[in-house]
Amino acid sequence: MTEHNQNEGFSVPSNNPQPLARWLQDVFQAPITSPSTENQHAPLSLDLALLIQDEYHVRFYQQIPDFCMALLTNDPQASLHHASLLYHLLGCQGCHQAYLDIYDSLHAAIYPQGVRPILGQGTRTLDGTPHRMLAHLCQTLISQAEALLSHARREHATADEPARALLQLALRISSHIVQSTTRREALQDLVRVATLFDGPAAPQESGSQVYAYSPTLAGTGNMRSGMAKLRHQAAGQAQESQMIQLRARNLDGMVVQHGKTLELHLHDLDPLLRGRFLCVNVALGSLFEPVRWLGGNPRSIKSASPVDGTGSLVTPLGETELRMSNPEERNLLEALFLLLQVRACDQDAG
Amino acid sequence: MPFTAHDLRYHPEQSYPLLYAYLHRNAQRYLGSLQYDAFEVDIVVGHVVEQLVRLGLFAGGDSSPKTALDQLSDAQFYAFLNRSVHNKAIDRLRKKHIQISTSAELESSERDESDDGPMGDAVTSLWGSTPFSTPEEITVHLSSQLALRDVLKHCIQQLQAAPNQLQAVLHELSEYGADDLLQVLAEDWHLSLSSDPLNPHNSQHKDHAHKKIRHCLQQKSSNLTVIVALRLCEYKVLSHETHEYTVDLQTLAQNDLSEEDVQVGLKELVAEGLLSWHGEEGVHLNSAQIKRLTRYYKEE
Repeated sequence: MTEHNQNEGFSVPSNNPQPLARWLQDVFQAPITSPSTENQHAPLSLDLALLIQDEYHVRFYQQIPDFCMALLTNDPQASLHHASLLYHLLGCQGCHQAYLDIYDSLHAAIYPQGVRPILGQGTRTLDGTPHRMLAHLCQTLISQAEALLSHARREHATADEPARALLQLALRISSHIVQSTTRREALQDLVRVATLFDGPAAPQESGSQVYAYSPTLAGTGNMRSGMAKLRHQAAGQAQESQMIQLRARNLDGMVVQHGKTLELHLHDLDPLLRGRFLCVNVALGSLFEPVRWLGGNPRSIKSASPVDGTGSLVTPLGETELRMSNPEERNLLEALFLLLQVRACDQDAG
Repeated sequence: MPFTAHDLRYHPEQSYPLLYAYLHRNAQRYLGSLQYDAFEVDIVVGHVVEQLVRLGLFAGGDSSPKTALDQLSDAQFYAFLNRSVHNKAIDRLRKKHIQISTSAELESSERDESDDGPMGDAVTSLWGSTPFSTPEEITVHLSSQLALRDVLKHCIQQLQAAPNQLQAVLHELSEYGADDLLQVLAEDWHLSLSSDPLNPHNSQHKDHAHKKIRHCLQQKSSNLTVIVALRLCEYKVLSHETHEYTVDLQTLAQNDLSEEDVQVGLKELVAEGLLSWHGEEGVHLNSAQIKRLTRYYKEE
């Protein structure tokens, strides 16, 4: 407050809406600091984490380029046509920051100054692209799929197809990542997001009666004697096949390929399961078209035989043209088995 | 052209390596002293890639709506990417506390370092000429609308029943320099700004006044979403078991609102991140959400 105002009351009107705007903003200011403001002052992250997550609003974010273009081309109706976005920008720092960024970049695009940018001369293949960046792309695609699914759910719409396409793309790109730990990081949220297709009412298959297997990382030592035994058995049956090693808590298993057939080998199963047929749930199976699953439903593949007296089971899962001998195709198949659940089939009846 | 916006949308696997190469080269260029810091380069490249995915361009196919970016010529699209890299690089340099006093100085040093760089002639400051560059500017635009001023006048007038609160608001408007509105108020209702020392409880009076003005503005709004936000706050019931507030859809759908209208408003609030509601019969709210809803306002 200026002294003039304090001492002499109202001053001469300025016809300037800015002071009133500042006051109105103060009246409506939220009492808490938004996360994005905190992030601006946070220490620099050491990981290449995704930058846009909590404050990503699909509907508004994807309107930003059109709004910016309308402003840049002096469309007099710009703020009217995008009034909803404008109000949103007032309260969402994440989208507002994106607006600033995109406006400036679009301005540079349509009103160029100086020499045009030079094209890159780098690699031309995914294999030659740094794998950490492939992993980041996979994480971004998976996160975007989750955002689309969440948005669609809120809007009572469906986004299954575009989300599925993004997850499939992430899967394919991850197959070019050689290092298994980086590949695992790239797909760390894949199972969680892929199972969102089932909706909130999907039955939860957890508990002591369900065995959840996932691939062991390459180079993981500490092979148990059961694993060695399995390997020995498999080596005799499939001399030229490759395998994907699985583990569920303290249990080992593997997926072996014989020709086109993918075969599940399990060992040391609970005595309660002996003599019973098992149901296998390949959680990502429906995401992946190149496998023809036995029975047609990857979420419920009934074993061809019961668990034998030693607690072992060998059962086919399906057929595929993919070859485990091809590193990329093997990586794809390994990603497919990120979560493989096994339970006794007759549990369904209960 | 090695890749286009169309390629990124429809052939992401094939075009990603080309996109990466392009972004990487420019990121190194703009990162200056950080150009050999692989992590910093990755951050810049990753930011632009992530933005393209979020915008629905990269791998968007036909499922995400086309935007102005799809209409750019190839050269314009490259310029767009280039500038995005440039902006993020500056952001990283700033966060690394590189000694840059102004963005103009930074861009000047860029000119010195690059012989034929595309930013050679770029001298505008980062956000200087951008409309709505701050929330304040957005509010300026909105508050310059006559209808809003009339509503504000009405709401401030309502404070006359609480003179301390009215004085607190008038002092505040004066502090902010909102002289136009003050003069209108003075002329219409013969109000005056007291020259007495401020009431010792002025801050408290001001908070109460703000609350009333927010409520009044929401009540006067004909915007469906604002009406639903207001009703959520007014009709909420506290559950002593969950310590959450709940409101039934039927309760919200009173008088002039149908249940369909309420659902539209709720979806809008959900889209803006103010609510978690998935079509249930009841809406559940926590106190933080209530606080944000009481501050929600927009016009038609």
